[in-house]
Order: sequence, then C-alpha cells, then structure tokens
Amino acid sequence: MDGSIAFTLGLSEGVAWPWPIAVYLFFAGISGGALTIALGLRLYKGQSSNTPLLKAASITALVTIGLGMLCLVLDLTNPLFFWRILVFYNLNSVMSIGVIALCAYMPLLALVCLIALKEELKYLPMGAMLTGIAAKFEGQRRPMEIALLVLAVSVCAYTGFLISALIRFPIINTSVLPALFVASGLSAGAAAAKMVAVRFFNEDLHSSDMKLLHGAEWPIMAAEALFIFMIMVSLATGNAGAQMAFAAFNGGDWSMLFWLGVVGVGFVLPLLLNFATGKRFSHSAQAFYLAGLCAVSGMMCLRLFILYAGQSYAI
Amino acid sequence: MSEHLSRRRFLIGACSAALLPMGCTSREDAETGGHKPHYVMVFDQNKCVGCGECKTACNQANGLPEGQSRLLLEQQSGRVEGQPCPHCGKLKCDCERKFVRVSCQQCKDAPCVTVCPTGAAMRDKATGVVTMDEGKCAGCKYCIGACPYNARFINSATKVADNCDFCLESRLSKGLLPACVESCRHDALVFGDINDPQSYVSKLLAVKDSVRIKPHLGTEPSLRYIPIVKTGV
Repeated sequence: MDGSIAFTLGLSEGVAWPWPIAVYLFFAGISGGALTIALGLRLYKGQSSNTPLLKAASITALVTIGLGMLCLVLDLTNPLFFWRILVFYNLNSVMSIGVIALCAYMPLLALVCLIALKEELKYLPMGAMLTGIAAKFEGQRRPMEIALLVLAVSVCAYTGFLISALIRFPIINTSVLPALFVASGLSAGAAAAKMVAVRFFNEDLHSSDMKLLHGAEWPIMAAEALFIFMIMVSLATGNAGAQMAFAAFNGGDWSMLFWLGVVGVGFVLPLLLNFATGKRFSHSAQAFYLAGLCAVSGMMCLRLFILYAGQSYAI
Repeated sequence: MSEHLSRRRFLIGACSAALLPMGCTSREDAETGGHKPHYVMVFDQNKCVGCGECKTACNQANGLPEGQSRLLLEQQSGRVEGQPCPHCGKLKCDCERKFVRVSCQQCKDAPCVTVCPTGAAMRDKATGVVTMDEGKCAGCKYCIGACPYNARFINSATKVADNCDFCLESRLSKGLLPACVESCRHDALVFGDINDPQSYVSKLLAVKDSVRIKPHLGTEPSLRYIPIVKTGV
C-alpha cells in the first residue's frame, strides 16, 4: 500500500468546454482588445472627433461580442436556460461577475457605437431614431468612454480569470492566463480594428493613428510571447502534474496547433512579413491585411490550444 | 491465518450492518437540536467485490436515464507487470478484486459550489450536503470543468448538472440511508454523521486508517476510503 488511493475514471467524458467556448473567448478578446486600443488611443491623444479607428473598433467590438454571446448561449445544455444566468447570481463565481460586467459593457458599447457612427447611421432606414438616441447621450460621451475602457479591459481579463479557476488543469490554472489573454486580445483586437478602419472607413494606411498602433504592436506581442514562455517554464519546472501537462507542447495531440498556429502564424509570420521583406512589400496593403489576419488567426489558435490542450491534461 | 482474519472481518461486517440504522438516529437530533451534521461516507476497499449493485440501486432510486449513473466502480490492479498474479498465479487475469468508488466526493470546500454562476450547485442548509437546485442550473458546465474529481455530469434527461448527493431528496430527507449503502451486501459502504461521536462512522473512523482522494487540493472531501491492506507473508 502506498498510503494513497486514486481513481482515473470520471463521470463526464471529453472536455467540458468544447470549441464554441474557445470561439467565445476569441470574440470576447477581440471585442475588448479592439475597444481598449481605440479608446485608449482616443483618450491619450485627446481626440474628440469620430476617427475611422474609433468607428471601426466600436462596430467590430459590438459585432464580435454579439457573436461571442451567441456561441456562449448555444453551448449551454439547453440554450433556453440562458435567462437563469441573468436572474440568479453568485458573487463567488467568476462567471457571475463576468455576466455583471457584460451586462454593463454591451449596452454602453452599443451607445458609444451609435454616437461614433451617427454620420453613417443617417443612411439607414431607422437612422433618424438611432441618431436621436445618440444625440440624447452625446453630452455624457467622455465619462461613458472612460467607463467603457475600464469595462473593455475587464472583459478581456475576465475570459482569462473565467477559465483559470479550473483547478484540475495545470495549463489553464495559472495566474498568468488573464494577463496573456489581455495581451493577445489587445494585439488581435488592434489588428481587427485596423483592418476594418482601412477597408470600410477609408483610414489611410500610414495615418498618425496607424503609425502609433504599429509602434504599440511589437511591445504587446513581446509581452504575449513572454507570458506564454512563463507558462511553459512554470509547467516544465513544476510538480508532477505540471510536468505531465508540459507534454502538450512537445508531442501531444495539440502541440502542432501550438507550434504552427500560435507560434508560426501568430508570431513568426507577422515578424517575417514586417522585417524580412523589402520595404516596398512590407508597407503595402497586402502585407497589412496578411499581418492582420495572422494576428487574428494566431489568437484563435491560442484560445483553442489553451482550452483543448488545457482540458486534455488533467491532474 | 488470512482465512481466519477474513472470517473475523465478515462477522464484524455483519454486526456493523445491524448497527447502521442506529448510527443514523442522530439525524433526528439534528432537526430538533442545534447539532450541525457532517455526513460522510466510508468506502472499504477490503470489502467491495465490485458487484455493482450500489450503482444499480442508485440509478433506480434517483431515476437516472439509461446509461448514466452518479457512481462508478473502477477496477484496479496491484500486480507487478510481467509477474504472475499473487491470487491465481496466471500472467493475465482479471481476478483481483480491487475497486474504487468514483462519485462526488462531497467536498467541504467544493469548487463546483464556488464557480456556479447561478447558485444551482449548492450546499443544502440542513444537512450540508452538496446538491443541485435544478431549477436554477443554466447548463454552462462550469462546475463540471471545475470539479477536481471529474465527478459531475450533465443528466441527459433534465439537461442540467448532476452529482451524488447521498440521495438527499430521494431518501435522506425521508430518514433513509443512501440507496448504495443500503444495497451493499458486503458492507463496503458506511454512511453517517461524523459530528456525532456516537455514530457508527465516527467509531469506525476512530479505529480504521482511512484516506481521502487528492487531499492536497484542500477541497476536504467527505468521502473516506479504507485502502486494501496486503495480506500474507
């Protein structure tokens, strides 16, 4: 007798949270990240006009959080039970706190979006009504934007806190995860907002806002790489459970997703596009969209990897 | 010697079966006085033969859908790879009766209760048992991922999370023992209030070495396991 007893069977098979949750984490990250970048830049530069970047970020954030919520609801065992999460609360639960944050985030985001897009809304069938709503709240614009900035960062971080509370999984149950999710949300959100701004709101590829964002991209990416490295090191040097989970990075089912998707597409490709190509190509529109798509796909791979590899290695 | 011991164990087991109902009288005190019960279940690996009647009884008592159950028995082996079985002498066999009960560990600090966004995974006030308020569960499966024992599941009939709650609603609330405990013919399962020093479980755990699963996680499970002790020279 070893003095201990254990079992390996479980009452639930497979992962508790499948891919729709990874997609939700992805959309929520894009939404919070895009908005944080745009509002942060706006407050930093003291802008008061409706810049293409703000328009792009607010509409991107609104659409992505909507899609994210859809994924979340469809992943419930019965989507019609959704109202229960909105009616019953447990303040010890990270998810419940997240619901409260999202309940404040989404309406506020919709208002900020209306105000930012009031010129464009005029041409919609219900434009008069929507611009009327926007006009009512325009006086409170700055405080609303500051509150929304705080909420956007919270939503980004919340997706990390949400899953890092799962103590069974060494890859997921780390304190670095919320920071990693904020960093990756910022980089992919910025990329998404930039692409939408250039494609749909006629932002110049080399405007001052774009230049500032280009400059911010690399430090954020470096932070993201550092957080991933920190998780890997803590697993490799951790206890038996952590070391077992480290197999996810070398040879496990999900290691290809990590090395090709997260590292290859998310980090190496954007670096190559920017620094290994001629100045003519790296400043072109093709390179701009390609790098943006890389950042967004890399983030999707990261969320998929963390969720699936994380849940595959249980202590 | 070993035969003599197992006969002795059998007799003790038979006596304990008679004592069981007495151990449970404490529940009435709980309802009348200020006594706060802490229900525990003891699984004695030395007595379990793996017949699975506990599982059948549980499925019936709690009306679980076909193919789902709140408890499983995991068969384990203490044999050394490549050496003959110490019981039958064969190189390949399935004769070793070493089973482990897999079910909700009824943690005192239960992660499922902490993470549940709606309070559907909750602790019953009167008994302290971790159970479900089915009308509140949204089916988000947060509790299933959070359970360090993987002891929760989605009931395919109700579409909400489910766990072993010592038959709280179906039996315990009516003063009956959990179905598995009552159905076990080998007295491998003992149930009672450990806060009552006169209960059979209290006396049993006072004299028997028992262990808990993954105690380092700090969840303080209420299930105790008495592991098999190797017999023979």
